[in-house]
Amino acid sequence: MNCVRAGCCTVSLWCWMVGGGCERPHPEQHAAALSLDSPAAAQALFDSNCRGCHSQGAEGAALPLMNKNYWAIATDAVVVQAISHGQGRLMPAYIDSEGGPFTAQEIALFVKGMRSAWGAGAVGRGGGVSPLIVAGDPALGAQVFAESCASCHGSQGTAGSVTDQMYLRLVSDQGLWSSVIYGRCELGMPAWDDALPNRPSGLTVAEVAHVVSWISSQRVAAHDGSATP
Amino acid sequence: MKVLKASLGWIEERTGVVAFVAPLLFHHVPRNAKWWYVFGSATLMFFTIQLVTGVCLATVYAPSAAQAWESLNYIDNHVPMGWMLRALHGWSSNAMVVMMAIHMLQVFLHASYKYPRELNWITGVFLLLTTLALAFTGQVMRWDQDAYWGLGIGAAIADRIPLVGDEVRALLLGGPIIGGATLNRFFALHVFVLPGAAIALVGLHMVLIIKNGISEMPKPGAVVVPSMYRKEFEERMHKDGVPFVPDAAQRDMVFCGVCLIGLVALAAFYGPFGPGGMPDPTIIDTNPRPDYPFMWLFGAVSLLPPSSETAIMLIAPAVGVLILVALPFMSNSGERAPSKRPAMVLIALVTVMAIAALTWEGTTSSWSPVMNGWSSLPTPVKFVRGRTPLEMQGAVVFQFAQCRNCHSLDGLGGKRGPELDDVATRLSYDQLVRQVQQGGGNMPAYGKNLDSAQTAAVVAFLATLHPANEPDSRIPGAQLSVPTDNATAR
Ligand code: HEC
Ligand code: HEC
Ligand code: HEC
Repeated sequence: MNCVRAGCCTVSLWCWMVGGGCERPHPEQHAAALSLDSPAAAQALFDSNCRGCHSQGAEGAALPLMNKNYWAIATDAVVVQAISHGQGRLMPAYIDSEGGPFTAQEIALFVKGMRSAWGAGAVGRGGGVSPLIVAGDPALGAQVFAESCASCHGSQGTAGSVTDQMYLRLVSDQGLWSSVIYGRCELGMPAWDDALPNRPSGLTVAEVAHVVSWISSQRVAAHDGSATP
Repeated sequence: MKVLKASLGWIEERTGVVAFVAPLLFHHVPRNAKWWYVFGSATLMFFTIQLVTGVCLATVYAPSAAQAWESLNYIDNHVPMGWMLRALHGWSSNAMVVMMAIHMLQVFLHASYKYPRELNWITGVFLLLTTLALAFTGQVMRWDQDAYWGLGIGAAIADRIPLVGDEVRALLLGGPIIGGATLNRFFALHVFVLPGAAIALVGLHMVLIIKNGISEMPKPGAVVVPSMYRKEFEERMHKDGVPFVPDAAQRDMVFCGVCLIGLVALAAFYGPFGPGGMPDPTIIDTNPRPDYPFMWLFGAVSLLPPSSETAIMLIAPAVGVLILVALPFMSNSGERAPSKRPAMVLIALVTVMAIAALTWEGTTSSWSPVMNGWSSLPTPVKFVRGRTPLEMQGAVVFQFAQCRNCHSLDGLGGKRGPELDDVATRLSYDQLVRQVQQGGGNMPAYGKNLDSAQTAAVVAFLATLHPANEPDSRIPGAQLSVPTDNATAR
């Protein structure tokens, strides 16, 4: 009799576990997914996953994201695209279908959370520039570069070359675009609408497109088969 | 019933299967063989689960470097209950190792390895080795970053073998580096060679169990005297033993049932292991931690001064195996009761505690890489300011390639490698290129994993790491060989 009872218990325990366990568990993510779009949760997620490259002020080697200048121009779609599928050679893809840790839904919430953490008061300050790269004319861009960039980036400048082949092989055109429009004022790189040599009120939207397309046109295809972005 | 009996008889007459199986089921075992004796059966159960789930997994798994990761993802996300299958296989593998260890410990404490069961013990030792090899090759099957690292460590150990190191490494990896051929090799080992060996050894182990019987609970004073043992044992069994089925088998089944419930619970709650990390095995992950069964070894190595690592990594396991194999020859008669063998009990206790402590050390050791250093620790301002765009990209590569997990900047980051704040005062440009491409010490060689642009950028960045008032080593002549396409396109 005891055996029968023990058997019943075992079977029902089995059913419970197999039945209840049909969803594949994601223990680390359950907790986070609940309130990803809160500023605090977004900050925490950002601190452990992104801050190594994107930080704020002069800190960090890639574009700082913890500031409202970025969020004033960037749209959610651009940010979601970059996080999901990566960008250029050095920004990893974070969506699960490409081996990353997040689902599409989590990324959407995360972006919402980041915007509420750092984007407050940023609305409408973009000046009409697109966060996504726009095609321009390299010939006109050469002109803009000579006038407004070469004093820092030319052979006499101290900021270093932006037409170095190794550099150009690592950054995407979208990355170049973002470098020019957001700048890094703490490091001495002006934003697109800051005062520039020969252009006290900054570049026009069209000039940004021209100069980026010129820099990009300086890129020579790699010989060793390493992908150009 | 009659038909059944007749057909059984027909088969029996031609195969002798009943005559073969009956003694397996009804052989007499000691009456006092109680709950102490269930661990071996549980190990066997886990092994069976491994075989069954393994065969199922093999139907979907694609053992090619390009598809392995994807096929695991497919099993996890698209095959109904596929994740459960993987979880069961993964957890049951760990459970099997643990259960086997407990079983061995029990045999050791009860000195069941003494006459006439020396070979039971020795086949057991080889089963342990085979199981560990299965666990190791299984970790490689995930073909994710952990797998890549496990292999890297394995290859590094092979490399240390004097004289034939290169050859052994090539044999293991199917070439000088980890690549598609490596996975194929480990797949062959994991699904054909090792399971074959394990099945054969299990069979042998079983035959020996039937032949020699199950040892009785040790009693102080009941000494083993080889010349008389077998006869007396058989008499005692005949008089006082109980048939394996149903008496002992019943306890085995209850225990196996409990284990099975525990296994399913673990699998359902924690899910499968990996596949972690990005699918690209050319991205070097910096967490060189093996799966649990090897953690203690890893912890031991972490405590050693680097100078003795080679000796210990190569010699200690060999000595350990030798001792295990030699054990029954060192003492195959005399007392079996733990109370009469205090030294042995002490050895067992110390071993268990040492393995537990080392596992803990391996899991937590402070020198080990800071797992999310690359994605959480920003490049400090002083190493960003005044850098050219290329050097800035180099700083990103430094994060991207997870150098930060092992190397700190301004005190933040891993401590596995030296701090690099002023590395440019120590190494010239050429030496930096060399270090990045060829690694050395415990640093992985990034050669093929960074292309020429990434290498150029990261080295350009490293070359800026020196105190403002000290000259860097970009002094005349040092920067002759900027990595070019040709230099790295090999
Ligand atoms: C006052 C000097 C100055 C001027 C003018 C200037 N830059 Fe820069 N730029 C810098 C400095 C300093 C950096 C390095 C900091 C950095 O990499 O963000 C830099 C970095 C860059 C980068 C690389 C960003 C990265 O990290 O990948 C690009 C691209 C760039 N500048 C483009 C331009 C263009 C195009 C112009 C002209 C419209 C321009 N810069 C004008 C100072 C300047
Ligand atoms: C290993 C460094 C690294 C990490 C970690 C990283 N990024 Fe990036 N990210 C980059 C680089 C480099 C770029 C620019 C790539 C290019 O265009 O060449 C970039 C680009 C981006 C962009 C696009 C910016 C623009 O508008 O052009 C966004 C958004 C972004 N990252 C968000 C994130 C978030 C969110 C995380 C954390 C989940 C993250 N990144 C983690 C390096 C990183
Ligand atoms: C798994 C940890 C690990 C990772 C990841 C790692 N290193 Fe190392 N690195 C070490 C160790 C350990 C040493 C010391 C080697 C020795 O003893 O010869 C070292 C040494 C170095 C040195 C020489 C330092 C000196 O003072 O001699 C440089 C430079 C270096 N690493 C750069 C890098 C770069 C760049 C990366 C990323 C592309 C990187 N390391 C990734 C562990 C690591």
